Amino acid sequence: MTEEVASVESLTLTFDKIDAPALADVSFCLNEGESLALVGESGSGKTSLLRLLLGLLRPTRGKVRLFGQPLDDVDGEELRRIRRKCSYIPQDPFGGLPPTLSPLQAVVEPLIVTRPNLKYEGTNKAKELLSDLGIEETLWNRKLVQGFSGGQRQRIMLARALITDPKLLLADEPTSMQDVSTRMDLINLLKVYLKNGMSMIFVTHDLLLAKAMTLRGIVLYRGRMCETGPTHLLLRDPLHPYTKALVSALPKLGKPIEVKVKRRPLPVGFKGCPYLALCPYGFDRCKDLPPMKQLSDARSVACFMGDTSQGT
Amino acid sequence: MSFWRLDTLFLAFLSLLALLTPLLGPVNEAVAPPFCKPLWLDHESGKPLSLNAKDNSLSFTWESKPPKTFSVKGTVTFEGVPKSAALLLAGPSKTYKLVDLAGYRNFDVDIDSRDVPLKLFLGLSPFVDVSNVIFSERGAYSLFIASDVKAHLDLNLNIYTGKWGIFGTDQRGRDVFRLTLAGIRISLLVGIFATLIASTLGMGLGLFAGYLGGLADSSIMRGVDVLLAIPTLPILVVISGVWGRGLWQIVFVLSIFSWMGTARVVRSLTLSLREAPYVEGLRALGAPTGYILARHFIPEAMPLLLAQMALGVPGAILAEAGLSFLGLSDPLMPSWGRMLHEAQVFGAFTSGAWWLIFPPGLGIASICLAFISVGRRFEEMADPRLREMAER
Amino acid sequence: MMRISSLSATYPNGFNAVKKADLKLSSGEILALVGESGSGKSTLIYASLGLLPKGSSVSGKVFFDDIEFFALPKEGQRKIRWKKVSLVLQGTMSSFTPVLTIKRQFLEAMEEHLSLTPGEAMAKAVELLEEVGLEGNFLARYPHEMSGGQKQRCAIAMALCCDPDYLLADEPTTALDVITQAEIMNLLKGIAKRRNMGILMVTHDLALASSTADEICVMYQGCTIETERSDIIIKSPKQPHTIALVRSLSMMEE
Repeated sequence: MTEEVASVESLTLTFDKIDAPALADVSFCLNEGESLALVGESGSGKTSLLRLLLGLLRPTRGKVRLFGQPLDDVDGEELRRIRRKCSYIPQDPFGGLPPTLSPLQAVVEPLIVTRPNLKYEGTNKAKELLSDLGIEETLWNRKLVQGFSGGQRQRIMLARALITDPKLLLADEPTSMQDVSTRMDLINLLKVYLKNGMSMIFVTHDLLLAKAMTLRGIVLYRGRMCETGPTHLLLRDPLHPYTKALVSALPKLGKPIEVKVKRRPLPVGFKGCPYLALCPYGFDRCKDLPPMKQLSDARSVACFMGDTSQGT
Repeated sequence: MSFWRLDTLFLAFLSLLALLTPLLGPVNEAVAPPFCKPLWLDHESGKPLSLNAKDNSLSFTWESKPPKTFSVKGTVTFEGVPKSAALLLAGPSKTYKLVDLAGYRNFDVDIDSRDVPLKLFLGLSPFVDVSNVIFSERGAYSLFIASDVKAHLDLNLNIYTGKWGIFGTDQRGRDVFRLTLAGIRISLLVGIFATLIASTLGMGLGLFAGYLGGLADSSIMRGVDVLLAIPTLPILVVISGVWGRGLWQIVFVLSIFSWMGTARVVRSLTLSLREAPYVEGLRALGAPTGYILARHFIPEAMPLLLAQMALGVPGAILAEAGLSFLGLSDPLMPSWGRMLHEAQVFGAFTSGAWWLIFPPGLGIASICLAFISVGRRFEEMADPRLREMAER
Repeated sequence: MMRISSLSATYPNGFNAVKKADLKLSSGEILALVGESGSGKSTLIYASLGLLPKGSSVSGKVFFDDIEFFALPKEGQRKIRWKKVSLVLQGTMSSFTPVLTIKRQFLEAMEEHLSLTPGEAMAKAVELLEEVGLEGNFLARYPHEMSGGQKQRCAIAMALCCDPDYLLADEPTTALDVITQAEIMNLLKGIAKRRNMGILMVTHDLALASSTADEICVMYQGCTIETERSDIIIKSPKQPHTIALVRSLSMMEE
């Protein structure tokens, strides 16, 4: 019986004075050793979701559980203990690393911070990780403020996240700045950790990358779940119009891109399907929010079209 | 960017001078008559002379117009008690008896040409200038003892011509050049200490206000607003009236009134640093606030802080100089502002005695310029945009 | 045709970013300049317009139709920029001043290079915005009031305002989401065909290049190592670096 590592239930997050919720009614469950992709573009709420999972934000409604413990019910010391089993890679490689440290110091820092009394003396593990990730030894002691490219910074952030051997890795677009050739190296390194029992939530806008990294995926649009299922099925046989648009928008070698979208401005406070903003279909009944329908053991869709039994 | 440029070299040189000047001896003693002009300015008067006579006599020539004053100081020891003895100063044609030494075994000589007893002893009116009379001729002079018992002398003859030193003397007869050198110490002390205390205070309060936010932030910022509204100089005047005029009073008050700028700037920086993703990551790992502030925020604020400090020093120096110029500082403290105050009070400005005004004035201006130049370079290091402008 | 012949460019700090690059862009076609970070692709297009920072050294020849660019005096070069060939910058932040509305920035560009009355300029601006798929009322907006995709479309519209023969675009869709990216690519394709304009697009995404461009030129470490029609280069890449790129992409797609 594998342990549950993270789960959210009907998670909703609304910011003050902003009408549209950042996240609405998101639920999923992640077990030990599993990897889950959160697919969506900017504005889909994926970054807020990660921060909610770590307890850095309080949800407006709904529950978050980490390693079985509900986050709203846990005291400071216990919360700290749970958080130390996680690692978070933020999306911005320039703000995600402290500029006054060197790569070596930045990678060792999580080990210092998570020890009592803030004492840790070793650097070998950090050096190993840095060379595995392709950062040359000559750069190990140069201050981060002195010019490292976005790609290098992302790799250093990955080392910084992996050095504590986390049980749960929350990664927000960790390979967006990599060249195609180095991307495979990072993916393979992550796969090694996954094989050793690490669980991962991988946020990306790239469905192909999601397929390479994870087995299961959730597609988010403007804070709502559109579709869930095995990632390779999301690619091969998308059900929700948004997933279909994402798949067809992916540049494929040698094939022209054809995306069918129809842009519609939605009135403020619109309570129907958010994808109506782009959906090439868009029926009258879409003015009501389509419920999340479980289609099979692993797949569910929130669209009136994906519901074959009810037709259009 | 190389550290050693003109400004840093200049400041290092000044610091060295500041450290070494105490070795030159006390500065508040009179070394020459008051209001002497600088040596190189006055070409008519003769050079001042300082001679030491041992054993029996001292000979010298005097080839210029009569000096302003002269003095003879020292001891005369006889090998017995003379029945008749005197200290004589002989000129080309006449000899003058300066003091009668008969009946003394040891005598401490302390004669100044301005002394009225001496004038009376010489048979002159108290309104006559003794040195004018004695040194009226040009030629050979000698100072000696005439007695019936062997005598040993250890006398210092000093002849003052109204010229002295590199910058002359002030109203108390103090060497202005020595005073100028001594002023470096005061300016550096006040400038650096006041700014150091103010910056530390400002950084601490700015960090707290920025990181903690809420009530701490509002109260600190309201404090800043209130203190900024208070004009510094009048307060300094009141405090020096109430507390006395000392160096450390000035340092204290300047510190209290200078930390606000730094606090504001550090607070803005902290506010923006607080939102950085890596800070969130560290908080998620459970890093204590103190660790984040000490390990990350303070190093990031360093270049900014250094710039603020370097640019704050001229302010403190000028404030101190201003206060001293108004006469509100310790009269025994050889500060440049005080020198300017005394110059003004004793009419140097109106009589055109510029050598009393330029040295302290230039001193203040140059030290402030040097600090601003260094501060500007720190600013360039802190703010990349300025660096680009500098490199174009 | 726009031709770059044996162009080399070195930055003031001594870094030789481009080494004897060759390029040919035909009217009505899209050429994608593909390379990884550090390959010199952005440097190449800035160098060809004489836009590298002061102190850089550039050698070689650049031809716009039959005009040799570097042989022209400074004033002549200025006339070519924007009228014959225009530029869409990387990162929409750089294309717009945050404190002026789009209308002011458009009109400023047009007044500088054409001599139109304000009324004519406005009409043209609205026309251009509609060509890129935006409504005319976008003119009243500030840059921060638009999404990334909308800003990019505006930047393209501004680049077209003087009806240039060639458009150089530096990573036009980085930082945009895939759907908007697809729309912008199709927009560029349409513009190239409609106006018989040659578009040179710099990107690091070989897949994107292969689905949009007619020809692909691969850059590696400052040199243009392979130039070929896009369908051919995907099926049979010749240079080892190109082969590696194609291979890692096909691995991802499996």
